[in-house]
Amino acid sequence: MGRYIARRLLLNLLVLWIVATLVFFAVRLLKGDYVNERLGANLELSANNPVAIKQARHELGLDKPKWQQYFDYLGQLARGNLGKSFETRRTTWTELGERIPFTLELGTLIALLSFGVAIPVGVISAVRQDTWADYVLRGFSILSVATPVFFIAIVMTFITLKYHLFTIEIVKAPHFWTDPRAAFFKYLIPAISGGIAGGAGIMRLLRSQMLEVLRMDYVRTARAKGIAPNGVILRHALKNAMIPVLTVMGLTVSGIIGGQIILENMFGIRGVGNYLLYTITNRDYPPFQGTVIIIAFVVVTVNLLVDIMYAWFDPRIRYT
Amino acid sequence: MAMAGSEAAAALPEFIPASVHDLPAGRRVLIRTARFMRKRKLGAFGVVLVIVVLVAAILSPVLQRYDDNRQFVVRNPSYQAAPSGGGNILAQLQAGKTANDVSEFVTQRFESPNGAHWLGTDSFGRDIYARIIVGARLAALIGIFASLIAVTTGTLCGVISGYFGGLVDLVVQRVVDGVQAFPALVLLLLIVQVFKTPPLWVTIAALGFLGWATSVRVVRSAVLSVREQPFIEAARSCGATDIRLMLAHVLPNVVAVILILFSIGIGAYILAEAALSFLGLGPQGVTTWGKMVEAGRNGLDLHPWESLFSGAAITIAVLGFNLAGDALRDELDPRLRGR
Repeated sequence: MGRYIARRLLLNLLVLWIVATLVFFAVRLLKGDYVNERLGANLELSANNPVAIKQARHELGLDKPKWQQYFDYLGQLARGNLGKSFETRRTTWTELGERIPFTLELGTLIALLSFGVAIPVGVISAVRQDTWADYVLRGFSILSVATPVFFIAIVMTFITLKYHLFTIEIVKAPHFWTDPRAAFFKYLIPAISGGIAGGAGIMRLLRSQMLEVLRMDYVRTARAKGIAPNGVILRHALKNAMIPVLTVMGLTVSGIIGGQIILENMFGIRGVGNYLLYTITNRDYPPFQGTVIIIAFVVVTVNLLVDIMYAWFDPRIRYT
Repeated sequence: MAMAGSEAAAALPEFIPASVHDLPAGRRVLIRTARFMRKRKLGAFGVVLVIVVLVAAILSPVLQRYDDNRQFVVRNPSYQAAPSGGGNILAQLQAGKTANDVSEFVTQRFESPNGAHWLGTDSFGRDIYARIIVGARLAALIGIFASLIAVTTGTLCGVISGYFGGLVDLVVQRVVDGVQAFPALVLLLLIVQVFKTPPLWVTIAALGFLGWATSVRVVRSAVLSVREQPFIEAARSCGATDIRLMLAHVLPNVVAVILILFSIGIGAYILAEAALSFLGLGPQGVTTWGKMVEAGRNGLDLHPWESLFSGAAITIAVLGFNLAGDALRDELDPRLRGR
């Protein structure tokens, strides 16, 4: 197991290097850089002031040859340095430090809602196969998989506005630990819509896995031994049905991050997703690159954790 | 059902077909379809939805009733013709007239659904029904072509990577890992941003690239299991070249997987394009559902029609392609569930 984890960590490092390289060169393929996208408009540095443009590019290090920029960037990266924002001249870590709490708040809520609802619902749907409860739950999940996350949010917003249920706070940025009431209403719609979008797929997969496992001989044996029905479902069936679901959970985390970009943008949440969109449209390379690398780090780490958890769910799996 | 031998088949009167395979091709397809519809009701429902979307897409010039960019106007009832000589709008406004009185025509903004505009009009007075029909064409085009690109490139790389293994496999798989470590939307943002105003083909290609990674992974794992089969070894011992082995022996055995990938992907690409359009980064110069949902967000409580109808259109199209794709997968290879 130890050796397996060590090898996987090395492979993850390789993947992160590929991501870092991809994002570095992709960003430099984009039309226009920070100087003519932002400064050009703001400081009237347009084509009639070549000296100022040259000066600005020099200060930002954008005039160096690409390969030199690349190796500088890799060197900084190896030391955990994600560079400074062109716009604010603050480090990427500082910028992200302010935004990560918002993203974590929303992300945790979405993850809790999607996993916390999808797992019991999937189990119920499978155990009560072909009853009205199963039909309703399945219909709901099939529909949710096909609905874009922003449309779920829009329908909820529409109902809230139409019937004056509560005020949706867009401008203020409350945290749960500073102003729990305001934060609750700010995150309510994005968390539920993100949760529905994230959980629907998990529920469907878990249901079909549970149906398969419930027909297995060892489940019948467990029942025959006289184990309480709930014990059979939870200990014997669910644990085995969860194995393929885990794989999807890894992918779901990546999906939740993508959904957050949209939801943060819609509901004025100043999180990482919002920042990602902002920096790329402004061509603010360093913080964009840094954020992408951190997200990739989260994704590969989650996938590694998922693989380690396999061994716990299925002791037959031995990594060597 | 299969008859034991040719004598037994000959003994039967000719009009009793031994199995579906002995029927003429036309009736065979009919019977297969009927059986599919009975066995997979959800899948049949999906196929119906897909047909609706495809009909809307293909026949959009006939069905859309109005041009999707036409702005409807009505004669302003409170318009008073300017006195001769004082035709200048600014002068009239200064003379105490309101903006409502000085223009001869006003746009029919935010009409609720009615006989002339089945689904109402948007903020520019354009017919929402016409725009939704045109959007169907875009959605079908994007979904199908993105999936086609993803599957063809993915199969090419997947077969090569799985068949040869070794260093080629290692390199291809790590690139796939790298692409998949990006959240899908971030990667799309990045590719689409290369162009300030991305044309349609860029969006399609970006979606295809995204699907490439998934396709490579799935096709490769199918190839890995085919590669070890005895018939591959037999063909190789007969002197078949690598290219011949891949094209004539490996590829036909992963066709089911490829078909499933193609059909299941379409819904996902339509959703991804809608997300891009919603963020304002979709293909420029065309009417898409995602853009309409976004455009209708202002004043949602007063005139929700544009957002609600276009959002429902996305859901219906994706639902159709998903259900049809799922049924096809269950029919061809149920083991692929959940991939």
